[in-house]
Amino acid sequence: MRLYLELARRSFQQTLTYRGATLAGIFVNGIFGIMLASVFLALYQSQAGGGSGEVQGWSRDQTITLVWINQSLLMTVYLWGWWEVTRNIQSGAIVSELLKPYDYFSYWLSRDLGRAFAHSLIRGVPTFVIGLILFDVLLPETWVRFVAFLVSIALAVTVSFCLRFMVNLAGFWVLDYRGIASIFTAAINVLSGMLAPLAFLPEPVRILANALPFRAVIMTPNEVYLGQVPIWQGLGFQLVWICVLVVIARKVMGIGERQLVVQGG
Amino acid sequence: MQIFGNFIVNFAEIIVLWSLFQLFEDLGGWSLNEVLFLHGLSMVMFSAGDSIANGVQTVPDLIRDGNFDRILVRPMSAYIQSMVNEVSLRHFGLMGQGLLLLTIGMVTVESTWTVPKLAYMVVVILSGAGLFAALFTVEAILSFWTVNSIEAVNAFTYGGSDLGQYPLHIFHRGMRFVFLFVIPVGFLTYYPSLYFLDKPDPLGLPGFAPFVAPFATFLFCGVVGRGWAFAIRHYRSTGS
Repeated sequence: MRLYLELARRSFQQTLTYRGATLAGIFVNGIFGIMLASVFLALYQSQAGGGSGEVQGWSRDQTITLVWINQSLLMTVYLWGWWEVTRNIQSGAIVSELLKPYDYFSYWLSRDLGRAFAHSLIRGVPTFVIGLILFDVLLPETWVRFVAFLVSIALAVTVSFCLRFMVNLAGFWVLDYRGIASIFTAAINVLSGMLAPLAFLPEPVRILANALPFRAVIMTPNEVYLGQVPIWQGLGFQLVWICVLVVIARKVMGIGERQLVVQGG
Repeated sequence: MQIFGNFIVNFAEIIVLWSLFQLFEDLGGWSLNEVLFLHGLSMVMFSAGDSIANGVQTVPDLIRDGNFDRILVRPMSAYIQSMVNEVSLRHFGLMGQGLLLLTIGMVTVESTWTVPKLAYMVVVILSGAGLFAALFTVEAILSFWTVNSIEAVNAFTYGGSDLGQYPLHIFHRGMRFVFLFVIPVGFLTYYPSLYFLDKPDPLGLPGFAPFVAPFATFLFCGVVGRGWAFAIRHYRSTGS
């Protein structure tokens, strides 16, 4: 356990290092947040009553809050562009990695949690503050909800990691991962609630989204924050998916390992 | 496979947009078809500009590796050499999709298409491609001094293309100012579309505003060109 804590700590510090990139990133998240929030404001404006009513159970301010939570979570849950394990497999380095005296899955998970903690502080908080200043972003009703929201983010990162880890394992079987990456991105964008609350999507898509783990990464933290779901239910949903995904990820890893052939290895 | 992948990603976003229009009346007075037209226009420009400037986007890597020196000692324009350094077809998917949306938009909107409109649309698309290529060049120019903060330019390249996909008047005044008079994306997508779609201008700019697209690009490229020349003059190689 000490080893994994140390790994997380190192990864945390490593993430804090790039100051210039952090400022640039906050700027980009801020601009995109403003754009998306403006689009939703204009959409609500078109409703009878000038946007005071609810649409599919979502008030204007709730939707705006979701936009800013999502922009703030973006880097923390890190859904895009993490292909370390795939590259590891493709370069063959995985062979020596697997020989090292730690658990490969736990190694990357602890590193990712460290990274996520750093990102939530240096990217998440500032981005959310921009939203709070510029838009009518709602605050959680109670402190308990806020704490539950923080727990929910940690669980969301874990779900996100499991999903990414599994997609990465595709590297055992295919050479070009970019196609898979795109399909994964498309699925995430729509089915997690990243682009719009799931309630805004057509019935069949919504049913599909509710049956898949993607919503545990984005939608559930939002619902916990906004008080749209009992806390135990939101966190429970995430925990169940974590258990399921960890088991599957390890199984797939085992199968991949067994049939792994490395050139020159 | 990658083209197909890009297609899926954008297709998913269009599905979400379509879903939103099932629930909401309109977007700042624009119908779904009109917004789709704008999406198409912006996507075509962006993908064309991105393809043109594909090699230029490798300049940060060239500088970091010290390979940019090799370009400078050759008797040919450094810009053209960077441009052809890498040619990629990765944005053909996006381009095809943009053209598809543009066509769907053109067929379904309630406006008449005349020869001058179509001719001007070609001019606008070419100008737009030039503008986005110039924006990607800004990224390359900044990389002569810093490698860390160039991600900020993404707010204007990817952000500009995204912003160009929506009617400009729904955005805050400050945002509109930046994307009209600093980075003239609005003059390439929104204003020409007002003319194409016969829509009034809620922002109250002079009547010739829809037609400044080529001039806006010309001006912007002029400034970026100077920046590039300045960067080359002040370039100091990495390493020893």
